[in-house]
Amino acid sequence: MQKKQLNWKLVQYELRNISGNIFVIVFGVIFPILMSVLFSFVFKSSVPELLYTEIVTSVFITMSMIIPMAVLLIGYAANYSQELEKDIPLRLNLFGFRERTMLLAKMIAYLIFTTGSFLLYAGVDILLLDLQVPKPGSVLCLIASLYALSVILFILAHGLATLFKKFGPTYAVSMILYFGFMILCGMMGVTVDQLPSALKAIAKVLPMSYISSDYIKFWQGGKYNFAPLIQAYLFFGAVSAIILLLSFRKNQRKIK
Amino acid sequence: MLIINNLQVRYGNQLALSIKAPLTFDDGDRIGIIGSNGAGKTTLVKSILGLINYQGNITTDLKPEEIAVHMQHNHYVNTMAVKHIMETILNTRIKRNRALQELISFFDFEECLNKKYSALSGGQKQRFTIILVLIQDAPLVFFDEVTSGLDFETRQKLMSKMAAWYRNKNTTLCVVSHYYEELEQLVNKILILEEGQVVDFGNKEELFRKYCGNTVITIDNNQRNIDLTKNLIKIKAPDHLIALSCQSSSIEKEVTELLIREDINYKRSNNDIEIMSINAKARFFERKTGGIAHAEKTA
Repeated sequence: MQKKQLNWKLVQYELRNISGNIFVIVFGVIFPILMSVLFSFVFKSSVPELLYTEIVTSVFITMSMIIPMAVLLIGYAANYSQELEKDIPLRLNLFGFRERTMLLAKMIAYLIFTTGSFLLYAGVDILLLDLQVPKPGSVLCLIASLYALSVILFILAHGLATLFKKFGPTYAVSMILYFGFMILCGMMGVTVDQLPSALKAIAKVLPMSYISSDYIKFWQGGKYNFAPLIQAYLFFGAVSAIILLLSFRKNQRKIK
Repeated sequence: MLIINNLQVRYGNQLALSIKAPLTFDDGDRIGIIGSNGAGKTTLVKSILGLINYQGNITTDLKPEEIAVHMQHNHYVNTMAVKHIMETILNTRIKRNRALQELISFFDFEECLNKKYSALSGGQKQRFTIILVLIQDAPLVFFDEVTSGLDFETRQKLMSKMAAWYRNKNTTLCVVSHYYEELEQLVNKILILEEGQVVDFGNKEELFRKYCGNTVITIDNNQRNIDLTKNLIKIKAPDHLIALSCQSSSIEKEVTELLIREDINYKRSNNDIEIMSINAKARFFERKTGGIAHAEKTA
């Protein structure tokens, strides 16, 4: 028996595993499309016509973040914690898969799945909604931000699931974080500026706040100071990485 | 291949396993690991696999990936057919892997390949992991209660298949089981654990001679048989049986002639693991309580 390396078959296995999880399909693929379309129909009659395309575009940018949050923070955490509860990663580890190899395969598979979901979301919204035409640089910026967010949320979800090792607490914490992020980052109808000062301070350390409130400002061009956003990414990434490292440490095998 | 020395495993304040004298597993050994619930069998396997923290030494030149294991409970994802899981774990295609096809056929598993793991029966689930373990061809393999929860017929079939598979192979096998009749066809050494300690470890036949004599004759435990055998050497046996120890073939002949004359059904064995382990454990506890009594006396 040899130490198993990262290979396409392992990534395919993880893709099948994701596709078999109905929660990810519903909340990570269908839900963001429904939400963006629903909001745009609601706004059609309630906002001035001049502002309509800008608001719909803002909704499109904001709702795009539901994809990584639902697929990775909730879907992956739920899926992986169930696997841990049944000792499936340990079983694979005993078949020669290193934890890092399995983690990498999962991350690649989730990023592929998220890409598919982004493409479907963008395709449907472009067809159905009256979106502003962006500058290429703004689109690239949004794509990079969403992938960076996906990687960080993956790390956070993996760390949480590995620390708790049980579906119940992992799901509870990831749901609290999910709704917390949605409330703090302007995805539930309250903008970051409307939050009380204490909550606003928390929101400012989360990159999602900047994406939902600021990206529309340079969507069709203009200057933007990326420093606070980058700082928020670094902070959010560092916290997630610390949780992941703690979980690795907790689950180390004694023989190498 | 593997030496265990001065091993101690604790769960909180409780000492779950304590192996003081060195235990050596050699190449090609077929070791049956037996003992009551909580004796430390699975703890020992987990220690060797490095899955739990321990004090002491487990020395081996094997890498973790050279040790294959069928755990007591094995689970897989339910989001896909088991053939995809199998192909991923083995990094192969079933259609292109002759050896794997043969093993699947050997364990009559063809019809299960398109099912999800949750849809397999208990025996099919066990066979699935066994196929994955056997095809690895690892030098050291653990089977931890591989047949628990299966009916008698399925157990027998599974163990015969495993015995046939490992015949003429130099694999070191460690089989944890509560079913002694399974071990009889598969192992040549026995490790008896009780209350986290080693009762004895050695060649199956030698242990039998040490605790039972040359042969053991067992008969039903009833008043007539108790009266009839009151002058014969008895050793400990399960409650429903009387076990007569025969130290030589002449004694065995006398005993069997008596039983035939009295028209009493009997069973003869020179490798009964169950009776051997009962007597080994009885002596172990005698030594232990004797030791305690002696220590109390000295104090």
